[in-house]
Amino acid sequence: MSQSADVTLEVAENVGRRSHLARRMLKNPTGLFAIIVIALLILMAAFAPLLTSQDPDYADIRNILASPSAEHLLGTDSAGRDVWARLVFATRYSLLGAALATFLAAIIGVTSGLIAGYYGRWFESVSAWLTSLVMALPGLVVLLAARAVIGPTLWGAMAIFGVLLAPAFYRLTQAAVMGVRNELYVDAARVAGVKDPSIIGRHILTVVRAPVIIQAAIVTLIAIAIQAGLGFIGMSDPTIPTWGGMLNDAFTKMYQQPLLLVWPASIIALASVAFALFANALRDELERSAKPKKAKSKTKAAVNAEGAPAEVHAETEAAPRDLLLEVDGLVVGYDQPDGSLTQVVNGVSLTVRKGEVHGLIGESGSGKTQTAFSILGLLPEGGRVAAGSIVFDGDELTGKSVKQMRKIQGKRISYVPQEPMSNLDPSFTIGSQLVEPMRETLGISGKEAKARALDLLAKVGLPDPEKTFRSYPHQVSGGQAQRVLIAGAISCEPDLIIADEPTTALDVTVQADILDLLRGLQQELGVAVLLVTHNFGVVADLCDRVSVMQKGRIVETGPARSIFAGPRHAYTQSLFDAILEDGAARGSLSHSSDRHVNAGGAK
Amino acid sequence: MFSKKRALITTAAAVSVAALAGCSGGSSSDPTTSGASEGGSESGGTVTLGVIAQVTSFAAANANWANESPMMQAVYDSLLRMEPDGTISPNLATAWEWSEDRMTLTLDLRDDVTFTDGTAFDADVAAQNILRFRDGTSPNASNLGRVADATAVDEDTVEITMSEPDPALEVYLTQNAGLQESPAAFDTADVDTVPIGSGPYTLNVGETVAGTTYVFDKNPDYWNPEDQHYDRVVANVYTDSTAMLNAVQGGQVDVASVIDLTQLDQMTASGYGTVTNQLDWVGLILADRGGVLNEALADVKVRQAIAYAFDRDAILQAFSAGYGTTTGQIFPTTSSSFDEALDGTYPYDPEKAKSLLAEAGYADGLEITMPSTAALNQSWLTLIQQQLADVGITVVYEDVAPANFISDMVAGKWPATLMILQQDPSDYQLASFQIAADSTFNFLHYEDPTVEELIGEIQLGDEAAGAELNQYIVDQAWFVPFYRTDNTKVVAEGTTAEAQTGNTWPYLWTIKPVG
Amino acid sequence: MVQFTLRRLGAGVVLLFAITTIAYLLLYLSGGDIARQILGQTATEETVAKKAEELGLNEPLIPRYVNWLSDALHGDFGRSWFSSQPVAETITSRLSVTLTLVVGTVLISAIVSIALGVWAARKRGWVDRLIQVLSILGFAIPSFLIAILLVNVFALNLGWFQPTGYIRWSASPAGWLESVTLPIIALSIGAVAAVAQQVRGSVIDAQRQDWVRTLRSRGVRENKVIYKHVLRNAGGPALAVLALQFVGLLGGTLIVEQIFAIPGIGPLTIQSTTQGDIPIVMGVVVATGVVVVVVNLVFDLLQGFLNPKVRLS
Repeated sequence: MSQSADVTLEVAENVGRRSHLARRMLKNPTGLFAIIVIALLILMAAFAPLLTSQDPDYADIRNILASPSAEHLLGTDSAGRDVWARLVFATRYSLLGAALATFLAAIIGVTSGLIAGYYGRWFESVSAWLTSLVMALPGLVVLLAARAVIGPTLWGAMAIFGVLLAPAFYRLTQAAVMGVRNELYVDAARVAGVKDPSIIGRHILTVVRAPVIIQAAIVTLIAIAIQAGLGFIGMSDPTIPTWGGMLNDAFTKMYQQPLLLVWPASIIALASVAFALFANALRDELERSAKPKKAKSKTKAAVNAEGAPAEVHAETEAAPRDLLLEVDGLVVGYDQPDGSLTQVVNGVSLTVRKGEVHGLIGESGSGKTQTAFSILGLLPEGGRVAAGSIVFDGDELTGKSVKQMRKIQGKRISYVPQEPMSNLDPSFTIGSQLVEPMRETLGISGKEAKARALDLLAKVGLPDPEKTFRSYPHQVSGGQAQRVLIAGAISCEPDLIIADEPTTALDVTVQADILDLLRGLQQELGVAVLLVTHNFGVVADLCDRVSVMQKGRIVETGPARSIFAGPRHAYTQSLFDAILEDGAARGSLSHSSDRHVNAGGAK
Repeated sequence: MFSKKRALITTAAAVSVAALAGCSGGSSSDPTTSGASEGGSESGGTVTLGVIAQVTSFAAANANWANESPMMQAVYDSLLRMEPDGTISPNLATAWEWSEDRMTLTLDLRDDVTFTDGTAFDADVAAQNILRFRDGTSPNASNLGRVADATAVDEDTVEITMSEPDPALEVYLTQNAGLQESPAAFDTADVDTVPIGSGPYTLNVGETVAGTTYVFDKNPDYWNPEDQHYDRVVANVYTDSTAMLNAVQGGQVDVASVIDLTQLDQMTASGYGTVTNQLDWVGLILADRGGVLNEALADVKVRQAIAYAFDRDAILQAFSAGYGTTTGQIFPTTSSSFDEALDGTYPYDPEKAKSLLAEAGYADGLEITMPSTAALNQSWLTLIQQQLADVGITVVYEDVAPANFISDMVAGKWPATLMILQQDPSDYQLASFQIAADSTFNFLHYEDPTVEELIGEIQLGDEAAGAELNQYIVDQAWFVPFYRTDNTKVVAEGTTAEAQTGNTWPYLWTIKPVG
Repeated sequence: MVQFTLRRLGAGVVLLFAITTIAYLLLYLSGGDIARQILGQTATEETVAKKAEELGLNEPLIPRYVNWLSDALHGDFGRSWFSSQPVAETITSRLSVTLTLVVGTVLISAIVSIALGVWAARKRGWVDRLIQVLSILGFAIPSFLIAILLVNVFALNLGWFQPTGYIRWSASPAGWLESVTLPIIALSIGAVAAVAQQVRGSVIDAQRQDWVRTLRSRGVRENKVIYKHVLRNAGGPALAVLALQFVGLLGGTLIVEQIFAIPGIGPLTIQSTTQGDIPIVMGVVVATGVVVVVVNLVFDLLQGFLNPKVRLS
């Protein structure tokens, strides 16, 4: 009898800005449809007496099961009562009943959820236990037994049902409150001496408000379904017209007057669909608002790759090595619902030569990570290369299918991510995540791959390769995980490693070790590296050549030494100045919004 | 919806019998159906019954009848047997005789019958079974309430002695009161679930799902193979009218109860024939003739006004799709006290009703509280409420759980109620069940000297008193009967069955394959 | 792990005790004259009184409950007051039927909703929208309407299936399949709708994880990324919803069992509760409680199997 009412749980964690949610709901087509249907039903309930001249209770014994006519718009039921009149009044009572159940469930569930989530401790244990108690108790037995005690009233049944459904709200609220209980702003309020009820009211309630509305729509839907179910088993309230009661009557006459079944069934289905759509649309809007804006610069759909040409420093080497990667006029953008393209890379050109380390430097939001992902062929959902070319070892990469790219990924171009912990699948051992790509790309046996993986783990400086091999990601430290990821990146002997801020997320003490490792491996293997970073220190340490990015463009490029010796572009100069002023400013930089774009907005 | 039409049907008509008057039962329609074989008779001799009641107990001492009779008759023999027309014929007892004073009934028993566990059937066993039934908790245990003792005279003769005469005793012995169970089963733990009888079939415990499907296999050693028409009897329990209809339309049952008469047309459209009799009357019991709970009802004019308020033809149509016969009396057509003229006593006349109410001082209307329950059809209650509202009587329904409906009613909680009640075939039975001051369904136990005197005369065998009593309670409007409802079974092509006098189900041995 | 299981089972026992107490109290309060209900309207008051005496209905609440409890603790759940059948047997036979339907429904809906959910999450666009709309319809349309539609079309009109009844696997596997097909479809539609939504959501979430990009960057085949890695990680939330469905279906089979005249626990629950057949109702309460406790435990263990963090802590 009870449907899952938990679908909204995850949303609670995702609540972000809620500005103009109501307005956005009205712009969302399904949301608008749902709101219109619900509004119509409520109007129907409110103005029931105006919608029909017939008495819903008048039973005309000489006119039972009549077909629709001018007098009886939808015909009459098995007691000769006007079906339209009953439908209109049933809407009133059924919606009120469902509202009662929802209201009670929400009051009980949200209140206890707030208390349990905020104060925790014994209240939480007791509530959790009561929740499982309610869930394990056969609801039907309770409803039927209670019916015998309190009579067949719709209100009684719905009130009991409200209590039975309270856990749906409880769990939602409790989880959401647990999530924010220790957030900074709540702490701040507490420190500032704001009283608990006021904190709950002002800060915490706002977090659960929208999820509670979603849950309420779903609980209303369930309450309507329960009324129908009670009607089906002949347990509807006989004293007032209800959808369930009409269904019950219609069922017994299903084969004599099938139309009778159509009306209550349709209105129940319509109302349920409306509430389900409402919940769905609201959830969609909430999820959308939880995502940060894709980028700062917005342009029309037309691709714009123009701008001042980059400052190019002359090559210092006598015999430049062969070209490995040549990016030319690359434009990356995200399609927007309104058809426009939000551009994040505006015509980047750069080259990486075999065996060299090329630093791609710029502040957060400059588009350097997007450039790196385009080369990897792994732009986040919605992103695409809008113009330009990426030629790798003589092979044009743009326009290649996922399948074709997969042959290049790993084997030719590999990737060292920024945040080690989130880049290992938590459900599989580190060993299996190393072995799997090697078996696929190199086509070697499992045994061989394992031996190789252990070698690699030793090579990246992990003290106990066997143990690390068997470990799950959550069992190793961030520095170890990054070593594992570097091992993974070199495991298939690529020609180019794209390292996206490989040290940013690590402790300062570990950073140097990882850089040392990278440098050592690069020299040993002779692999080219495109190093994405915002840190000039790293560039100075490792790079042969540097490209400086700003606002989706390369502003200056050339041998590292030349640029360090004489930065020409004002932006490059400002970056240098910043380092001099504050050597360790990366703390704030590392929480760049451009990283959130990479993660697709998931928290 | 499934609980609705059950509570009343299951128990009604358990004891009604027309045998004493020697009449044929009810208005049974053509029981036979034609032609092509289908269902059970074809598939290795299985007949599938669609019944509406699960077996309450398989112990003979606690046995129910009526809707459970097919399952009981499959496994047990009764001492006597009733033919479809109500005549009583030999069964386990080959001959029987009353003593002059009608205080002793002597029965000669067959000596060639053994129970399926090998135990022999004899007079001592018969005596034990009779006494066990009397002392058991069958709903009909009181049928043997006047039996003082039962003893074995010799191997194959049993003697039943009475505390007072009961002319219906032979009839009872054709029903659950006469079922014979093996004494070896009496004290077993599963006496209520595993029957050991001498009947034509044995319960297949392995395939039976209690409450849902009862499977019976042919008893290979049965003493009367003529009554075994099938190798297997299956009884499926359907509590929901829609499920029953689906089973019928899908051809899954050979003989089935019609739970909702308004579905009968769909059933016959699927090629089923019908077997029909009439056992129950549908209408109001105006029990508060003494005005204990509602003083208005003490006024005969008010009661008559209520009787005038109902359009019986329309009610019959609305309640049972016309399957029944309108009536104004609770006596069955088979009773000599039945008087067709009485049916016209209270024609539909709202004006007359209103003027009677005005005469009684209720020109401004009055209020009556009646029970409403999920065991009664809600639209029936609504229509009754409306008919009375049309003449100025407000019915206030007080809801009661189905489990409490009958008990609260007979405990005298309401002044009046809608009810479906059996039309006991003998006037005395009927009077002592529904009319007499101490009867169950005179539930406020109103005592009317005229009535009590007439009942006394009936007990002494005065037939005229019955007619007089009928006339009196119709005039006094003790009841407002609407119609006698059809009791209908649908029968698949290839199967025949005969309507049984006094029982809702055809007796098992009348259910046969065609040809 | 063992300790976790034991602790949960211990909590389950306490829970069962609480549930039975509440249920018994409720049933006692809803009371009514059960002896009269058993015997019907023809029985005399005398017989009714005798029956009440026999069943111990005249005893007060506490001794009755204590009696029941001590018998139950000894494994004796008594006999139905209305059919004399031993409660344990009745419940076992009924529950096995209902569990067949529920497990069948859960399995089918797990498979179908994983397929649909993954499809919607990967394709997005119109496939996603279509599946979303169908889910909402499936979620919102009452299962009895679906059941009635199925009976009329596939059983009565086309004659492909039998309209009512249940055939045991042991009696005829083909017959069993025929008898459970329509009920399971009717039940699955709502379950699929709920679970597919959840799968879709968690797959989309999981796809956005950083490690998915890293796996792809290593050259791992897309199908392996989705079906091995993404699905494994999306499995947790989907399992949670499935567990809820399982518990919900225990009650939800009722109407479908009614329409198909299937001898499951649902009709028994209604019948015994409305009649006041306390031994049976208590049996149902205990059985449901046990199933809920066990199912939740099993799903939690599965959850642990999917999530090494839970498993290893």
